[in-house]
Amino acid sequence: MDVKINQDGCKYEVVLDGRIDTTNADKFQEDLTPLMNAETPEIVMDCTGMQYTSSQGLRIFLSLQKSVIAHKGSLVLRNMDPKVREVFDITGFSSIIKID
Amino acid sequence: MKKHFNPIKDKSADIIEYLMSSPDMPQDEALRFKIHLSIEEAVENVVRYAYEDGIGWMEAGTDLEDGGLTLSIEIKDAGTPFNPLAREDPDITASAEERKIGGLGIFLCKKLMDEIKYEYREGCNILTMKKKLS
Repeated sequence: MDVKINQDGCKYEVVLDGRIDTTNADKFQEDLTPLMNAETPEIVMDCTGMQYTSSQGLRIFLSLQKSVIAHKGSLVLRNMDPKVREVFDITGFSSIIKID
Repeated sequence: MKKHFNPIKDKSADIIEYLMSSPDMPQDEALRFKIHLSIEEAVENVVRYAYEDGIGWMEAGTDLEDGGLTLSIEIKDAGTPFNPLAREDPDITASAEERKIGGLGIFLCKKLMDEIKYEYREGCNILTMKKKLS
Protein backbone atom coordinates (compact mmCIF):
# COMPACT_ATOMS: atom_id res chain seq x y z
CA MET A 1 0.00 0.00 0.00
CA ASP A 2 1.41 3.31 -1.10
CA VAL A 3 0.20 6.43 0.74
CA LYS A 4 0.84 9.93 -0.63
CA ILE A 5 -0.09 12.93 1.52
CA ASN A 6 -0.19 16.51 0.23
CA GLN A 7 -0.71 19.05 3.00
CA ASP A 8 -1.85 22.63 2.58
CA GLY A 9 -2.58 24.13 6.01
CA CYS A 10 -5.38 22.08 7.53
CA LYS A 11 -6.19 20.43 4.19
CA TYR A 12 -4.80 17.00 3.51
CA GLU A 13 -5.11 15.34 0.11
CA VAL A 14 -4.33 11.67 0.45
CA VAL A 15 -3.92 9.18 -2.39
CA LEU A 16 -4.08 5.46 -1.56
CA ASP A 17 -2.69 2.88 -3.94
CA GLY A 18 -2.59 -0.87 -3.39
CA ARG A 19 -3.94 -3.46 -0.96
CA ILE A 20 -4.23 -3.22 2.81
CA ASP A 21 -3.76 -6.63 4.34
CA THR A 22 -2.03 -8.43 7.16
CA THR A 23 1.42 -7.90 5.63
CA ASN A 24 1.28 -4.10 5.51
CA ALA A 25 -1.43 -2.86 7.90
CA ASP A 26 1.12 -1.70 10.49
CA LYS A 27 2.95 0.32 7.84
CA PHE A 28 -0.37 1.83 6.67
CA GLN A 29 -1.16 2.93 10.22
CA GLU A 30 2.30 4.45 10.52
CA ASP A 31 1.86 6.31 7.21
CA LEU A 32 -1.35 7.87 8.53
CA THR A 33 0.23 9.10 11.78
CA PRO A 34 0.52 12.73 10.59
CA LEU A 35 -3.26 12.73 9.99
CA MET A 36 -3.99 11.27 13.42
CA ASN A 37 -1.98 13.99 15.16
CA ALA A 38 -3.35 16.94 13.17
CA GLU A 39 -5.67 19.56 14.71
CA THR A 40 -8.92 20.25 12.77
CA PRO A 41 -7.69 18.31 9.72
CA GLU A 42 -9.81 18.38 6.55
CA ILE A 43 -8.90 15.10 4.91
CA VAL A 44 -9.91 13.95 1.44
CA MET A 45 -8.72 10.46 0.52
CA ASP A 46 -8.69 9.25 -3.04
CA CYS A 47 -9.31 5.50 -2.88
CA THR A 48 -9.21 4.78 -6.64
CA GLY A 49 -6.12 2.61 -6.22
CA MET A 50 -7.22 0.78 -3.06
CA GLN A 51 -8.14 -2.65 -4.44
CA TYR A 52 -8.57 -4.51 -1.18
CA THR A 53 -8.76 -4.10 2.56
CA SER A 54 -8.97 -6.71 5.28
CA SER A 55 -10.35 -6.04 8.77
CA GLN A 56 -6.84 -4.85 9.66
CA GLY A 57 -7.33 -1.93 7.29
CA LEU A 58 -10.86 -1.27 8.55
CA ARG A 59 -9.68 -0.88 12.13
CA ILE A 60 -7.20 1.76 10.96
CA PHE A 61 -9.93 3.68 9.11
CA LEU A 62 -12.01 3.58 12.30
CA SER A 63 -9.05 4.80 14.40
CA LEU A 64 -8.55 7.63 11.92
CA GLN A 65 -12.22 8.61 11.99
CA LYS A 66 -12.25 8.59 15.81
CA SER A 67 -9.13 10.76 15.83
CA VAL A 68 -10.56 13.16 13.22
CA ILE A 69 -13.74 13.61 15.29
CA ALA A 70 -11.70 14.16 18.47
CA HIS A 71 -9.63 16.80 16.64
CA LYS A 72 -12.78 18.46 15.21
CA GLY A 73 -11.80 17.74 11.63
CA SER A 74 -13.42 16.00 8.65
CA LEU A 75 -12.72 12.90 6.59
CA VAL A 76 -14.08 12.02 3.14
CA LEU A 77 -13.24 8.92 1.12
CA ARG A 78 -13.61 9.26 -2.65
CA ASN A 79 -13.72 6.97 -5.69
CA MET A 80 -13.95 3.75 -3.76
CA ASP A 81 -13.84 0.46 -5.68
CA PRO A 82 -17.32 -1.17 -5.51
CA LYS A 83 -15.89 -4.36 -3.99
CA VAL A 84 -14.19 -2.41 -1.21
CA ARG A 85 -17.31 -0.29 -0.81
CA GLU A 86 -19.30 -3.45 -0.13
CA VAL A 87 -16.95 -4.26 2.77
CA PHE A 88 -17.56 -0.76 4.19
CA ASP A 89 -21.32 -1.28 3.74
CA ILE A 90 -21.45 -4.73 5.37
CA THR A 91 -19.54 -3.55 8.43
CA GLY A 92 -21.58 -0.37 8.84
CA PHE A 93 -18.51 1.75 8.10
CA SER A 94 -20.37 3.57 5.31
CA SER A 95 -22.60 5.15 7.95
CA ILE A 96 -19.75 6.35 10.17
CA ILE A 97 -17.30 7.47 7.49
CA LYS A 98 -18.35 9.82 4.67
CA ILE A 99 -17.91 8.17 1.28
CA ASP A 100 -18.42 10.23 -1.88
CA MET B 1 -6.35 -30.31 -2.13
CA LYS B 2 -4.93 -29.63 1.31
CA LYS B 3 -1.59 -28.91 2.89
CA HIS B 4 -0.05 -29.09 6.34
CA PHE B 5 1.75 -25.92 7.41
CA ASN B 6 4.27 -26.02 10.24
CA PRO B 7 5.34 -23.63 11.63
CA ILE B 8 2.62 -21.06 10.90
CA LYS B 9 4.05 -18.06 12.75
CA ASP B 10 4.32 -15.13 10.27
CA LYS B 11 3.20 -17.49 7.46
CA SER B 12 -0.30 -16.06 6.83
CA ALA B 13 0.61 -14.73 3.41
CA ASP B 14 1.97 -18.14 2.25
CA ILE B 15 -1.10 -20.00 3.51
CA ILE B 16 -3.50 -17.50 1.88
CA GLU B 17 -1.58 -17.72 -1.40
CA TYR B 18 -1.68 -21.52 -1.30
CA LEU B 19 -5.47 -21.52 -0.88
CA MET B 20 -6.09 -18.79 -3.45
CA SER B 21 -4.02 -20.63 -6.06
CA SER B 22 -6.10 -23.80 -5.66
CA PRO B 23 -7.66 -25.07 -8.92
CA ASP B 24 -10.97 -25.11 -7.01
CA MET B 25 -11.01 -21.28 -6.89
CA PRO B 26 -13.37 -19.45 -9.28
CA GLN B 27 -12.04 -16.95 -11.81
CA ASP B 28 -14.73 -14.31 -11.22
CA GLU B 29 -13.03 -11.30 -9.68
CA ALA B 30 -15.85 -10.23 -7.34
CA LEU B 31 -16.20 -13.77 -5.97
CA ARG B 32 -12.44 -14.13 -5.55
CA PHE B 33 -12.38 -10.86 -3.59
CA LYS B 34 -14.93 -12.17 -1.07
CA ILE B 35 -13.23 -15.55 -0.78
CA HIS B 36 -9.78 -13.99 -0.40
CA LEU B 37 -10.99 -11.68 2.35
CA SER B 38 -12.73 -14.51 4.24
CA ILE B 39 -9.66 -16.73 3.95
CA GLU B 40 -7.38 -13.96 5.17
CA GLU B 41 -9.55 -13.30 8.23
CA ALA B 42 -9.90 -16.99 9.13
CA VAL B 43 -6.21 -17.79 8.61
CA GLU B 44 -5.06 -14.70 10.53
CA ASN B 45 -7.28 -15.68 13.42
CA VAL B 46 -5.48 -19.00 13.76
CA VAL B 47 -1.97 -17.68 13.10
CA ARG B 48 -2.35 -14.91 15.67
CA TYR B 49 -4.39 -16.51 18.40
CA ALA B 50 -4.62 -20.32 18.22
CA TYR B 51 -1.30 -21.11 19.85
CA GLU B 52 -0.25 -19.34 23.02
CA ASP B 53 3.44 -19.26 22.12
CA GLY B 54 2.67 -18.77 18.43
CA ILE B 55 4.21 -22.12 17.59
CA GLY B 56 2.01 -24.76 16.02
CA TRP B 57 0.58 -26.16 12.83
CA MET B 58 -2.40 -25.60 10.55
CA GLU B 59 -3.93 -27.70 7.84
CA ALA B 60 -5.64 -25.71 5.10
CA GLY B 61 -7.49 -27.02 2.10
CA THR B 62 -10.21 -26.52 -0.48
CA ASP B 63 -12.74 -28.79 -2.09
CA LEU B 64 -15.59 -28.52 -4.57
CA GLU B 65 -19.04 -29.87 -3.64
CA ASP B 66 -22.48 -30.13 -5.30
CA GLY B 67 -20.93 -31.07 -8.64
CA GLY B 68 -18.59 -28.08 -8.59
CA LEU B 69 -21.20 -25.51 -7.60
CA THR B 70 -19.97 -24.94 -4.04
CA LEU B 71 -16.47 -24.17 -2.84
CA SER B 72 -15.56 -25.49 0.59
CA ILE B 73 -12.56 -24.22 2.55
CA GLU B 74 -11.38 -26.02 5.67
CA ILE B 75 -8.92 -24.70 8.21
CA LYS B 76 -7.76 -26.95 11.05
CA ASP B 77 -5.44 -26.36 14.00
CA ALA B 78 -4.58 -28.02 17.29
CA GLY B 79 -4.44 -24.83 19.33
CA THR B 80 -6.54 -23.64 22.25
CA PRO B 81 -10.18 -24.72 21.72
CA PHE B 82 -11.91 -21.59 20.44
CA ASN B 83 -15.19 -21.13 18.62
CA PRO B 84 -14.84 -17.87 16.67
CA LEU B 85 -18.52 -17.99 15.68
CA ALA B 86 -19.62 -17.74 19.32
CA ARG B 87 -18.24 -14.23 19.54
CA GLU B 88 -20.89 -11.51 19.57
CA ASP B 89 -21.23 -9.61 16.29
CA PRO B 90 -20.10 -5.98 16.35
CA ASP B 91 -22.84 -3.36 16.65
CA ILE B 92 -22.78 -1.96 13.12
CA THR B 93 -25.31 0.74 13.99
CA ALA B 94 -23.10 2.37 16.64
CA SER B 95 -21.60 5.81 16.01
CA ALA B 96 -17.91 6.22 15.20
CA GLU B 97 -17.24 7.38 18.76
CA GLU B 98 -19.02 4.35 20.25
CA ARG B 99 -17.68 1.71 17.89
CA LYS B 100 -15.10 -0.63 19.31
CA ILE B 101 -11.93 -1.20 17.33
CA GLY B 102 -11.70 -4.80 16.13
CA GLY B 103 -13.99 -7.83 16.08
CA LEU B 104 -14.67 -7.43 12.37
CA GLY B 105 -12.69 -10.35 10.91
CA ILE B 106 -14.96 -13.32 11.58
CA PHE B 107 -18.01 -11.06 11.16
CA LEU B 108 -16.85 -10.44 7.57
CA CYS B 109 -16.45 -14.20 6.99
CA LYS B 110 -20.03 -14.73 8.21
CA LYS B 111 -21.34 -12.06 5.88
CA LEU B 112 -19.28 -12.86 2.79
CA MET B 113 -19.61 -16.66 2.88
CA ASP B 114 -22.84 -18.62 2.39
CA GLU B 115 -22.15 -21.02 5.22
CA ILE B 116 -19.65 -21.15 8.06
CA LYS B 117 -19.30 -23.92 10.62
CA TYR B 118 -17.05 -24.58 13.61
CA GLU B 119 -16.33 -27.94 15.21
CA TYR B 120 -13.92 -29.13 17.88
CA ARG B 121 -12.99 -32.70 17.01
CA GLU B 122 -10.16 -34.99 18.16
CA GLY B 123 -8.30 -32.12 19.77
CA CYS B 124 -8.61 -29.83 16.75
CA ASN B 125 -10.44 -26.63 15.88
CA ILE B 126 -12.02 -27.05 12.46
CA LEU B 127 -13.52 -24.10 10.62
CA THR B 128 -15.38 -24.82 7.38
CA MET B 129 -16.54 -22.02 5.08
CA LYS B 130 -18.68 -22.56 2.00
CA LYS B 131 -19.40 -20.29 -0.95
CA LYS B 132 -21.80 -20.94 -3.81
CA LEU B 133 -20.00 -20.35 -7.10
CA SER B 134 -22.97 -19.69 -9.34
